[in-house]
This record gives sequence, structure tokens and C-alpha cells, in this order.
Amino acid sequence: MAKKRKSSKTQQRGSSNGRGQRAQSISNSLTNQRTYTISDYRLEKPAFQVRQVRVGDELQYEVTGDLSAPVPPIRDSKYLSKKQCIEIYRWMLLNRKMEQALENLYKQGKVVGGVYFGLGQEACSCASAYALTPDDWMAPMIRNQGSLLVRGFSARDVMMQYMAKAGSPTKGRDASSHFGDIQKRNVVAPTSTLGDLIPVLAGVALGARLQGRNLAVMTYIGDAGQSTGVTYEGVNFAAVQKLGLVLFVENNLWGYSTPCDLQFCVKDLAERAIAYGIPGVIVDGTDACQVYDAAHEACERARHRQGPTLIEAKMMRMKGHAIHDAADYVPKPLFEYWRKRDPVARFENYLVDVKKWLTSDENRALIADVDRELEADRNFAVESPMPTPESAAGGVYCEEGCHEIKPKYGMPKFRVTKSAAGTPKEKEAVVHLK
Amino acid sequence: MPQLTYLEAIRQGIWEEMERDPSVFCIGEDIGIYGGAFKVTDGFIGRFGPERVIDTPIAESAIVGAAFGAALTGMRPVAEFQFMDFIGCAFNQITNMVAKAHYRWGAPAPLVIRGPSGGNVHGGPFHSQNPEMYFVHTPGLKVVCPASAYDAKGLIKASIRDNNPVIFFEHKYLYRRIKEEVPAEDYTVPLSKARIARGGRDLSIITYAAMVYVALEAAEILAKEGIETEVIDLRTVSPLDREAIIGTVRKTNKVVLLHEDVRTGGIAGEIAAIINEEAFDDLDGPIVRITALDTPVPFSPPQEEYFLPKVSDVVREARRLKAY
Repeated sequence: MAKKRKSSKTQQRGSSNGRGQRAQSISNSLTNQRTYTISDYRLEKPAFQVRQVRVGDELQYEVTGDLSAPVPPIRDSKYLSKKQCIEIYRWMLLNRKMEQALENLYKQGKVVGGVYFGLGQEACSCASAYALTPDDWMAPMIRNQGSLLVRGFSARDVMMQYMAKAGSPTKGRDASSHFGDIQKRNVVAPTSTLGDLIPVLAGVALGARLQGRNLAVMTYIGDAGQSTGVTYEGVNFAAVQKLGLVLFVENNLWGYSTPCDLQFCVKDLAERAIAYGIPGVIVDGTDACQVYDAAHEACERARHRQGPTLIEAKMMRMKGHAIHDAADYVPKPLFEYWRKRDPVARFENYLVDVKKWLTSDENRALIADVDRELEADRNFAVESPMPTPESAAGGVYCEEGCHEIKPKYGMPKFRVTKSAAGTPKEKEAVVHLK
Repeated sequence: MPQLTYLEAIRQGIWEEMERDPSVFCIGEDIGIYGGAFKVTDGFIGRFGPERVIDTPIAESAIVGAAFGAALTGMRPVAEFQFMDFIGCAFNQITNMVAKAHYRWGAPAPLVIRGPSGGNVHGGPFHSQNPEMYFVHTPGLKVVCPASAYDAKGLIKASIRDNNPVIFFEHKYLYRRIKEEVPAEDYTVPLSKARIARGGRDLSIITYAAMVYVALEAAEILAKEGIETEVIDLRTVSPLDREAIIGTVRKTNKVVLLHEDVRTGGIAGEIAAIINEEAFDDLDGPIVRITALDTPVPFSPPQEEYFLPKVSDVVREARRLKAY
């Protein structure tokens, strides 16, 4: 958690007596800056630079830094049991294999539009959402399809979204992870614009708090998306109102084709938390235990009305922006480095070889079970019908009787101050138009 | 019945809804202790407390986003914009997040976004605009523009009770210039229902908000010349009351469309298309548009007067149409 390590209240004013004095006082005020710490749960701290270099007639990206470091162990969770670890592992497998199935469906021409992948980010999606209770809320971004599975949607829901089927959660009206459920699963549907979910989730926490409940509300933003103005607006609002926002900043190193080095100057995006006045944490996004522990602690803060937490999860997007994008611009050594840190393989190794919580046979059985589930969901999705053309119409408005709207957690109980006057005095003379 | 200003009518409407329904709350800039830039929420924080009268940072996207999020939990937020000119700051939240929610994923968004719009107050290019058409063009939103104090109170109450996102444009020129008798008891004015502000048989003026008064003043002058003008106050600009529009055209056969918004892309173009599609044979003359210029709202009084439609414009065009 971010702590003020030392602070200086000295406010040096530039003297108008002479240039030398002024320069000195500016220099003093710079050296007396306050410093803060950011919690860092990682067992390794990769430091690479990606810059543009000219090769012949072309500009391309080049990575520099130590890419030969050994893969660190999984950090033991402070909170997760053996059973919970295996559950998270199963979600990650389902997430990974569902996306492999989607890629195949795309190649078979069964997907409408593109496919977005969370390859390399499964630990971040699944272990974060796993920290939520059923009453908490979550909103995914495009790569958090694993988070949707953990919240109770099935692989067939995601597949039917991509295939634009009548039975998809949006009945064919939107694609990919763009769906939600405010009744049971407490999931807000994302939009394609970035950062807009942050104030919305803050508003969910506000609405729940007005109804007497302090909930954790979790959403995600990328290293690229966090540049948007609404990101600042949303986190700042949540901070001021002490709302239980848990924001995962998924630093996957690439915003479509643009590397981090062209997007921001801070060393770690968790440093943004300092400026919001909230705690910031860094985790290895390929380590499910670190992700869960940070998420769990942030959710607990949220439920105890201690305000938002910003968690930066560092990892790499292991495919292009979407299926059409071969990611040729990513320097190959970066792929090699992060492939060794594959979150599913690392967690599998941790459970089977390090902890010995799963025997090889149990692991094989678990994988086969996930395959069976996906096969059934895939077949169901493929065979389900497309929507009728006419179903494009209607549903723009919530008509009479289509939804009963009432506070989800019970009617708020407010004290109304009787003494306050109902009608203020007119403050300006009334002038009739004529 | 007590006499209320347009502003006080809105204030009472929100106040009564907050008394009636604990799920209603207000969120916006300077609406708490200060009572809002125009004092619409004056006294609210004392009565309802800071939990339900929430002062925010200057962050319009956060205001709309938070209102939408709270609405997803079944609350009925009323979000104030200090000036509707600033609604562009929250455009994405309104048009992509809020407006599409019910169609895309079946999530109702019962929230109201309200604030002052309109010119004739020498507010210049950033405090005088009529930005309603951006939202009329967006499926999923309702757009309300009251003209009278009675309607302002009844419509704000109906907007708060509506299960859809409503953008409620309060004409700031009318805030303290209009005063009329408003019932003390609870009432609502239905959305998407126009009213006949003045009956007539010779020609119709279809308009809304502050221009209703320009039309009524012109109608007085025209009446002295024997031209009986019907004035239709749309009250809700989206979804439009098509029946009322077609009805008045069938009755008078000649129509003037009047609005304070700029000409290109204004609601007059849409209404003209509706008349063309559904009542073309009933027309005895061309559809006439009277609108503001296609410019930003200028600051200097002589320029702003030139920019805005005037009573003399309406009288001139009405005479011309009557003689057609």
C-alpha cells in the first residue's frame, strides 16, 4: 500500500531579489519533494525499454534489457487454500481453451467479426474475479473473458456472442465480452471506448452504499486505456467518495501496436495511485496467487469502506490486438521472455510439481473435463440459430412493464431534516416576458 | 394555487420526488451547500443530507457514469449539469454507455440529466447553446424541453419516474422570467405529449421551450390582423408527438417550424420530413423554417439578437405563408 515515507512541508518561494537565489530555491523545492512507496508483490522486476530504431528504410521496435532472467517461482498465497487454487487453475484452463476454440471457430468461418484474446493474461482475469463475492460487481474489458466465466457466464455465452447468435446474452445485438447481467451475476457490460466503466462501477458502489451496502466493484483498464480522461475522472471520483473500486491496470505492454514507452513516462502505472490519494500495488500478472492476494486485500478494503485500490498487473499480451493482427511489430525476444512466464503453465507446474496438490492423473482428468465442457458448449453454440432480421427492431426503450425498477439491496433509509425550509426566497425579481 | 417561477417549479418537482421516493438522489457540481449555479437545488442538502445531494469534482463523464452505475442498482439519480453547453464533456458516456444499455444488454437506465440551456442571456458561445439535437439523434434517450412552469414541474417529475435516460433541458432565459399558477398537489405531465399552447385555424407554429413565447407574442399580433394562429408546444423533442404534429397540419394546412437551435440538423428538418411523409396532401403551402443562424451563439447583444429568431421574423413569415 502506498505510504507517505517522508514529507516536507517547506514551501520555498522563489525570491525576486536575483536569479541565482531563485534558481537555488527552485532546486531546493525539487529536492525536498515528498516521496511515496508502492507495494510490490513481484518476485522479479523486469526492466526493458522498447524504442523505435531504423533498420534500412524501415522503423521498427527494438527491446533492450536483461531478457535472460530465470522464471521466478509462484509466490505462495496468503489466503488461498489448495481447493481454491485448483478452482482458479480450472478457470484459467477454461479461459485459455475457450479462446483456442474461438480461434478455430474463426478459422472455420463461424465467427462474425474478429476475436479478442486474453492469452497470457488468464491469471489476471480469473484470479482477480475469483476474489469477488456473489454480491460484488465486476465489469470486464475486452480481454477479460475469463472474468466473465468466473462470474457465472458459460463458454457458450461467449461463443454465441462471437457468432452473433439469437441465444447470445445480447440476443445478437453486441459482440465479444460486451454483455452483462444486473440481476444475478452483477456484471456491467463494457463498451468499446476505454475507461468509461470506471465511473460506472464507482456509481454501482455509490448506489449500493445508498442502500446500506459496502460492496467491492472491480473493473479493468489497460496500459493504453488508462491514458483516457475518463479514467482520471472515474478514479478521482471514487477516491473522493471513498467508493469500493478495485481497479486492475493491466499493463500488457502494448496498446494495439504502440508500446508503453510511447504511452506514459511513469516507471510503473501503479504510481498513478499516488496522485489519486489511494493505495497502489504492483503484481506479476502471470502469477495467479499474487493477483488473487492483491485483489482480495483491495476487495476487503472496499467492503470496509476504505476506498479504492489501484493494482497494476504486469504481463504481456501474447497475441495481436485481435485475430487479424499478427503482432509483427513486437520484438521476438519479448515474446520468448514472456512465453516462459505463461500463467497457465506456471500455475500448473506450481500445483503439480511444486505443491503436489494435483497428481498428473488428476491434472489430466481436470483438463479432459474442461475439454468436454467446451466441446458441449461449442456444439450447442454452433447449432443454435441466428436471430431473425426483424429482431433488430425494438427494445431501444424500457417500456412499461418490461423491467421492475427498485433498489436492489432494499429501499434506502434516509433521515429527512424537518427543520429545513421547503421553499427558498426568490433571489431575483420576476420579469414577465411581455 | 401558488404562483411559481419556472425555476421554482423544477426545484419543487425534484424536491417532491425526493420526498416521495428514497431512491431519488441528486449529483452534480456545486449543488450542495451552494445550491447549484442557478439555485435549483437550494436548500436540498439541508433537507436530504450530503448522501443524497452529492457535490462532485468537475468531471462530467464521472457524473454521468456514476449516475448510470447507481441506476443499475435501482436508484433514480438526477444529475445536474451546470450548463448544458458542457454536456459534450460527457458525450461518450451518454451516447455509448447509457443510451445503448437497454438495447444492447437489457439494462434499464432510469436517470435524469438536467441543466440550463438556451440563449438570449448574453452568455456567449459556451453558456447559451441548445445542444438537444445531439441526443435526439441518439436512439435510447428521451429529450425534454419544457416551456411553462406547470409543464416544467410535471415533466421533471415524469422524467424522474421514467425508466429511461431523460435529458432535461431547462431554458435559462425562462428560469425567473416565467411565473404562473402551479398546483400544490402531486401531478405529472406525460412525456412525448405536445400541448396546444394557443388554438387557431389559419396556420400552425410548431415550437418548444423559450420560442413558445415568441410564437405566442407573434400570434397576438397576427390575431389583430385576423390571422388565427395555432401554437403547438412540443414539450418533448424526442420521441416526438407525431400525432400532434400531423393533427395541427390537418387542421390549419399551413405550418411554420420555429426553434432557437441552429438551422442545420435542428428538429424543424425532422418535423418537415414527418409532415412530408404523413400529411403532404394536407399542406396548402410550403413548410417554413424559422431558426437561429448556423453559427455559434455570439456574445454581444446586437449580434445575439440578430442570431436568435424574433417575433418580427415569425409575424413576417406567417403573413407570407397566409397569403400563399
